[in-house]
Amino acid sequence: MPEANQLSPAVPTAIGASATLRAMALVALVVGAVMLAPLMLDTYMLNILVRAFFVAIAAITVDIMWGYCGTLTFGQSAFFGIGVYALAITFTEYGFGPWQAVLAIAAAIIAAAAVAGLTGWLSFYPGSTPLYASIVSLVVPIVLVQILYSGGTFTGSSSGLVGFETFDLEFDNWFRLAGLALVATAVVALIMMRSDTGRLLKALRDNDERCTYLGINTSRYRIVVLVLTAIVASLAGFGYAAFGGVAAPENASFTFGTRLIIMVALGGRGTVIGAIVGALSIEVASAYLSGSLPYVWELIIGIALITVILAFPDGLLGVFKRIAYGGRPLENGATVQLRPMATATGTKAESGVAIEARELGKHFGSLSVLDGVQFKANRGELLSLVGPNGAGKTTLIRCLSDGRERSSGFVAIAGHPIDHLPPSRIVRFGLGRKFQAASVFETLTVAECLRVARTHRARPALASTSPVLELPAAAISVVERSGLADRRGEEARNLSHGLKQALELAMVLALEPEVLLLDEPTAGLTRAERQAFADILTSLASGDRLCILLVEHDLDFVRDISSRIIVLHQGRIALDGSVDEVVDSELVREIYTGQQSSSLRSAS
Amino acid sequence: MISRAFLTSLALIAATGSALAADPIRIGVPVGLSGANSVVAPSVVQSAELAVEEINAKGGVLGRPLALDVADDGSGAAGAQKAFDALVFQKKVNVLISMETSAARNAGLPIVARGKTPFIYTSFYEGKSCSPYLYVNAWVPEQQVPPIVDYFNKEKKAKSYFLIGSDYAFGRGMLAFTKSYIEKTGGKVVGEEYLPMDGSDWTPIISKLKASGADAIITSTAGGAPNVTLTKQLRAAGVSLPYGNLAVDEGTAKSMGTDAAGIYISASYVTGIDSTANKTFLAAMSKKFGADLKTPNDLSVPEYEAVYAYKAAVEKAGGTDPQKVLAALADVSVDGPRGSIRMDKQRHAPLTMYLGQVQADGSVKVIQSFPNVDPGAQCPPKS
Amino acid sequence: MLTIALDAVTTAALLFIISSGLLIVFGVMKIINFAHAAFVTVGAYAALVGTRLGLPWALVLPLAFATGAACGALTEATIVRRLYQRPLDAILATWGLGTVIGQLVTLIFGREVQFVQAPITGTIDLFGLDYSAYRIAMIAAAVIVAVAFTGLLSGTRLGLSTRAVIMNEMLAQGLGVDSSRVRLVTFALGSGLAALAGALITPLSSVDPNMGLPWLISAFMLVMVSGGSLPTLAVSCIVLGGLQVIVSTFVNPILGGLTIAICAAIVLRIRPEGFARA
Repeated sequence: MPEANQLSPAVPTAIGASATLRAMALVALVVGAVMLAPLMLDTYMLNILVRAFFVAIAAITVDIMWGYCGTLTFGQSAFFGIGVYALAITFTEYGFGPWQAVLAIAAAIIAAAAVAGLTGWLSFYPGSTPLYASIVSLVVPIVLVQILYSGGTFTGSSSGLVGFETFDLEFDNWFRLAGLALVATAVVALIMMRSDTGRLLKALRDNDERCTYLGINTSRYRIVVLVLTAIVASLAGFGYAAFGGVAAPENASFTFGTRLIIMVALGGRGTVIGAIVGALSIEVASAYLSGSLPYVWELIIGIALITVILAFPDGLLGVFKRIAYGGRPLENGATVQLRPMATATGTKAESGVAIEARELGKHFGSLSVLDGVQFKANRGELLSLVGPNGAGKTTLIRCLSDGRERSSGFVAIAGHPIDHLPPSRIVRFGLGRKFQAASVFETLTVAECLRVARTHRARPALASTSPVLELPAAAISVVERSGLADRRGEEARNLSHGLKQALELAMVLALEPEVLLLDEPTAGLTRAERQAFADILTSLASGDRLCILLVEHDLDFVRDISSRIIVLHQGRIALDGSVDEVVDSELVREIYTGQQSSSLRSAS
Repeated sequence: MISRAFLTSLALIAATGSALAADPIRIGVPVGLSGANSVVAPSVVQSAELAVEEINAKGGVLGRPLALDVADDGSGAAGAQKAFDALVFQKKVNVLISMETSAARNAGLPIVARGKTPFIYTSFYEGKSCSPYLYVNAWVPEQQVPPIVDYFNKEKKAKSYFLIGSDYAFGRGMLAFTKSYIEKTGGKVVGEEYLPMDGSDWTPIISKLKASGADAIITSTAGGAPNVTLTKQLRAAGVSLPYGNLAVDEGTAKSMGTDAAGIYISASYVTGIDSTANKTFLAAMSKKFGADLKTPNDLSVPEYEAVYAYKAAVEKAGGTDPQKVLAALADVSVDGPRGSIRMDKQRHAPLTMYLGQVQADGSVKVIQSFPNVDPGAQCPPKS
Repeated sequence: MLTIALDAVTTAALLFIISSGLLIVFGVMKIINFAHAAFVTVGAYAALVGTRLGLPWALVLPLAFATGAACGALTEATIVRRLYQRPLDAILATWGLGTVIGQLVTLIFGREVQFVQAPITGTIDLFGLDYSAYRIAMIAAAVIVAVAFTGLLSGTRLGLSTRAVIMNEMLAQGLGVDSSRVRLVTFALGSGLAALAGALITPLSSVDPNMGLPWLISAFMLVMVSGGSLPTLAVSCIVLGGLQVIVSTFVNPILGGLTIAICAAIVLRIRPEGFARA
């Protein structure tokens, strides 16, 4: 049994327990209020609130897509509309009854999931941009509404469907039903978003590329989230239509989709509660104001949206929190215990070819950036890649780590040809890539960043946060040596440049890679930090038998730690040899006196 | 210059606020102050205001004054739900009388049923909307289409028709009836094309029309923009066939300028109706609203008449009890600008229809009138 | 056949005129300006005011352009500038601005559909076919926009800076290009072009507060699929606009209206660089 690595005094679990108790008490209070409110509100207010509750559920799904996953979606209204029409069409065609109700719910779920799956496939693929996903989400409701318009009596066209028999409940009970549905959705959403899985979604939002290079199939996560939120939105629409007894194309329209976004933006994105606050306040305010101020109301909403985005990006809830908590950062993960893994997950060969490149080429039209690059690197080697600016070093790293980058040639990582695979797949062959600029998850804490890095080995918990984080010894050692261990509850954006670099390295090492690609890891570091880095790298190569490929400008640094050096010049390998052979060669002198004289001077 | 609609709505808020006399009968008017209907809505509100003022000046209904509650339905379902909720449950109106989009009307029906409130719908529409609480005093396809088609068949010797519409319930509903009527009267439909409601480029349809060799065109677009873009592009493409437009009203035709000249329209109301009732009505409207007057039209005049129909029904029923009023509404008849109207045909009304042609100066010349056109079987009793 | 060809070319011309302003903004700033439709509307109303004042079209068009450019410059300086680091928020803020402009236009001019008399009316005889003269004129307008645009980008200092920013903003800044000025000018230019497009389509379209919206989605998709370059935009307009006409003619115009959006989405899914060369 490995010892728990107690880096800070054990935190009494009572705090966690009391927080849970407090949350449960709050939920009980809200549920009580929902049950009693109908006795105090008039019919008009009940009506407005029942509809607002269903709309708020849809707003929560927008918040999860946008606030947590970072996809600005105009399309949740389409799924809401699918639920509305699943009910209306079923009850219109087949009448109302128990089996019809089951059929309608099934239709709502299946149709929403299918449309969401298709939308997800169109929106999310390796290399798709958030902007593109946004635009596709805009097209979905527009196409759907067009279909509804063209649907004749089946969909009721622009007039919608009305006059079907639906669930016959008293207003009071509708209120309780809708209120409880909203509370349940909010509680489930909050629990999931605060769990380790929720952190992973935030990681997708913060830095999709980093996730990809941590072996996470980000597209698949995004599609799954879209399908799940689509189902929830569809059920909200189902409830909305069951209560209102009407289906109209505008329930599915892109205008409604935009309205949902505005609700989330005003309330405060990425909080779930903000979505509810936004939805309820806009729905209630519009019921009272839009009737008497039809034009001005839209104007107010537009101005409010611009103001919130410019001045209060975290919405009403954010403003409230700032006033209530005085901007004190909330720490997450300070209580997480880091623990070395019991055994290595994979059995590792101590030697063998780790990187193989044959006739590798990369062309932009007639311009050749890489041409005929060919080399092998073994386990335990620390291979440095040097060359002047524009020689193609970073391009080479990219071609080794992303199968879709190169124009020609063959690459194998740890014996696996990378074909045209995306980085997330190549990482699973044993590749780890650290970027030039520290690439971490800015809004996640150090501990959370590290846990995300373990996603492909340890599936994150869906409903809770694990108090323990097991990491490979190499990652633990970086965390401890750099001093990150003491700051593991702090958000990554607050770290110094050097610590961010160390964190990224630790994250990459958490993958247990066999091949490590590093792009100028020491740029901008202090002398001491650089030395620490050098020590870590040499021990990784010699001790852990990693194959390290390092892009570096600083010949001093290279000379001290490398076992071999490749010189890249104008897209071709100009030299490939031992440190002494390369550093003393004419060519390097020539290249570097022209362009990197400072390095060379300090080297001589 | 601020939109008059806006000022009117502000004025209304003030007016309704002060009209709270002893125990008034409340009339709810959910109407599209914003959205697609916002151009015509102010004229509808003006009609209702005049009717209420006239009735109150003569002592009200059974000694009680009438009070208006106007609410914006946003010309759509979501807005209508809020507007109906507010009127039925918050303002607790005794009746709803209004011109709305079909989507808004449909969204209101379940709320009207829940609140057990009578609802007189005063907009022409594609027909066959049925609810025990709903009465309609405006035209349906069965009343509007025959005058145009009969005229084209007889006077223009038209044998083949090309139909163009906006893709929505009214557009499709009108043209579906038109098609069956043309075929019933021996003509042929050589093309039937739709553009999305917000579409504005009719080019491929116009090209098809020109290739079809049709003798006449009948269009049923959404009001406002689509109507305008289609007419402009037809004219720009040099189309000069007999052109019947099921969706243009006098006001729009006037503002379209020379492009509209020659269009045939069919309506239950045109300002040029030569009757004392109409002239008195027009004079009262200009007296009350002066420079702010929105030209009365086929959508606003039924609103005026419906207020009188409700008055008559309440008087016949001896009170505002919804069931009694609903029963009485089928029996009472109102003499208004459009003539004598009774909603006795499956909660719809036989109407006198006028065939008119838009002149170069934008005015509508009445060519022929068709008295008491029957609405047909709109809501046949379920067997 | 000739009709379809003419329909396709004139449709492509209209699409090109409408999307070119959006393209330049996307090229330089990598954001989609959701207020584009509102600027189109502003241009149309500028044309309305201009013709009401009795100005000749030769003055109405520059007036529309100037109005749009002024609105654009104001927008960039007050809103968009603060959001370059948050491109998705920029989308939302410009969407909000679009709503605000639409409502202001409604408050000032009312919701009614307005009319602008066309400068060129009637039809001309092309190879034995009567065809709308104004639509033919739009082909010339599209060519003029394209030529002026290309000339501006390749022949002026500003154009050089702009191209530098499009290619590599960091590098351009390093070379002393004032990228914030480039952005201001670009946004003004893009908005001006949108307004010019609005003025140009008024004779075919109606003038109402929402008139720009129906064009917006097609313009978005064309810009996305063209990857930010003007020649590729022209190609996209011809290919997808042509496809729209073909679907409208042989299937139905409703599906035709969705053709551009759906085809562009599929093209981008299969080939993320769109119609641009890799």
